[in-house]
Amino acid sequence: MTVDRISGAFLVLLGLFVAWEGRVLPLGNQSHPGPGYFPLLLAILLMILGGILVIRGSQGESFRALKWPEGGHAIAILGCCIFATLAMESIGYRITMVIILGFLFGPVERLKLWQVCTLTAVLGLGTFWIFDSFLKVPLPRGGWGF
Amino acid sequence: METTLQNLFLGFSTVFTATNLFYSLIGCLIGTMVGVLPGVGPLAGISMLLPTTFGLNATSAIILLAGIYYGAMYGGSTTSILMRIPGEAASVMTCIDGYAMAQKGRAGPALAIAAIGSYAAGTLSVIGLMFLAPPLAKFALGFGPPEYFTLLLCGLVVLGYMTGGSIVKNLSMIVMGLLFGMIGIDQMTGYFRFSYGIVALGDGIGIVPVAVGLFGISEILATAGQTKRPEVLKPRFRDLFPSRQELRDSVGPIGRGTLLGFLIGIIPGSAHIISTFVSYAVERRVSKHPERFGKGAIEGVAGPESANNAASEGALVPMLALGVPTGPIPAVLLAALMVHGINPGPLFIKEQPAIFWGLIASMYVGNMILLLLNLPLVSIFVNFLRIPYKILYPTILMFCVVGVYAVNSSLVDVGIMSMMGVLGYVLRKLDFETAPMVLGVVLAPIIEVSFRQALAMSNGDYFIFVQRPISAVFLLGALVMILLAVKPLIGKKRGWRDRLTEAEKSS
Repeated sequence: MTVDRISGAFLVLLGLFVAWEGRVLPLGNQSHPGPGYFPLLLAILLMILGGILVIRGSQGESFRALKWPEGGHAIAILGCCIFATLAMESIGYRITMVIILGFLFGPVERLKLWQVCTLTAVLGLGTFWIFDSFLKVPLPRGGWGF
Repeated sequence: METTLQNLFLGFSTVFTATNLFYSLIGCLIGTMVGVLPGVGPLAGISMLLPTTFGLNATSAIILLAGIYYGAMYGGSTTSILMRIPGEAASVMTCIDGYAMAQKGRAGPALAIAAIGSYAAGTLSVIGLMFLAPPLAKFALGFGPPEYFTLLLCGLVVLGYMTGGSIVKNLSMIVMGLLFGMIGIDQMTGYFRFSYGIVALGDGIGIVPVAVGLFGISEILATAGQTKRPEVLKPRFRDLFPSRQELRDSVGPIGRGTLLGFLIGIIPGSAHIISTFVSYAVERRVSKHPERFGKGAIEGVAGPESANNAASEGALVPMLALGVPTGPIPAVLLAALMVHGINPGPLFIKEQPAIFWGLIASMYVGNMILLLLNLPLVSIFVNFLRIPYKILYPTILMFCVVGVYAVNSSLVDVGIMSMMGVLGYVLRKLDFETAPMVLGVVLAPIIEVSFRQALAMSNGDYFIFVQRPISAVFLLGALVMILLAVKPLIGKKRGWRDRLTEAEKSS
């Protein structure tokens, strides 16, 4: 299976999903299009484009040939993003960043302990000071005031 | 002419305050750093640093952000010349002769000519912007919904064509971006669309989490784990001065690059990248010694660098005059203006002259700052390249999170950024360009409203788009682009779009 065929199939499925999800929105009529009219047109267009990719995609690169050497790092980074999304408001910006930076500099990148501690403290606490204290952009402090 | 000069005087009186000069300086310095660091392009840089402008007034904020923009365009040349690594895609062509010059011990003059060319192009393009934007805005005052819809449609099709890679994939990215832009409350009826009960999605998906996710996070995901440490040349200040012959050889390329860059910059798409390609090709063609190109010809640095900077300012013409961004960077700048309560468009120049002319004047000042400060500081800037990537990427990640969170104080935005990061990473693997998607998200509300208003005006008659002359011209433009895109599918000849794609991949 080629990359283009898989991508095209995904686009067709996405178009179908949007059309299905948009069924609850009023379509209106041609002279007064409703909130569902334009999304439906776009969904149809996406399915057509996806279909073209599927039809024309026989000569492209094989999906199996794709390499993911950075996969391990990517999962760790993505985990950090999810952690920030879920935890930042409850434990505060500073603790969240100290945990994220400590994890990335330490277990993931294996820097020396003193480097991990210095970088984590300087970056995590320094950005809080720059944004929150100096630039007056409020950052979450969490339940413990951090 | 007299009115323009009076307005320019107003602009300079706005900029020449200690505070605004300071922000212009800071913007240029940060922009150069952003341009120098591979992986942090101007788009992610502006998006991440947008929250730092919240405490500023609108004029100072836009002066700072514009400084970051053209500082980054300039900074990209440093890594191209010294390391053969383009700081951003528009510096790909500079790598060829710039690095060849560096290997011959002429890195200093290459950097100096890049700076002088960027300064000249930047300054001359501002003159173009100054004279072109106000009449264009006046012309656009006569646009109704059909004209706006077809203008945006034409712009998006041109973007799909001008961006490298497959046109079908580019168009599908635009459509996907438009669909993401449908999320939130429908402006005409108040219906909640595709928001799944998440109140924070009522206002739709913001441009900043989308841009930072697709460009910042996806870049980190794709490049983390690399251990190769590049060798960095460090030129001394006294080595920077070009010879008289090099200066003489650069005058023509700078002039031609500026004109080409400015004109191409107005067109939607990867204008700043395309302009460098065209400029390099033109210089090679007009040269009496084309065989020198690729082996350290100063014209190969002067032309593309000038074109790149001129294009970045040409791109501001439609954004400021029509409120229509032609690429992802102007789109983020547009969003930044909106955050500060400024709505670019036909009425912007008339209603807020101090901000518009202040921005124009700041560009003159910013270009001068870039020339005066960046050359002496080049040896300091290259030190940023010595920071190991394993330290750099967690730092960039932290700035992405704080930058996105601070825009709306919303963790939903951080979640959207993360999802967009994964989507961007997968799409890059599958050979899709993500820039068109960003523009789709930005333009979705305007394009939908003008489409529905146009149909309401005509009682549902689609012929309204061809009956009105301006609208018909835009539609014809879109059709021509589609036909041009289909042409290579019939023949097998490699076109400029294939070469553009290769260059973008190599960056």
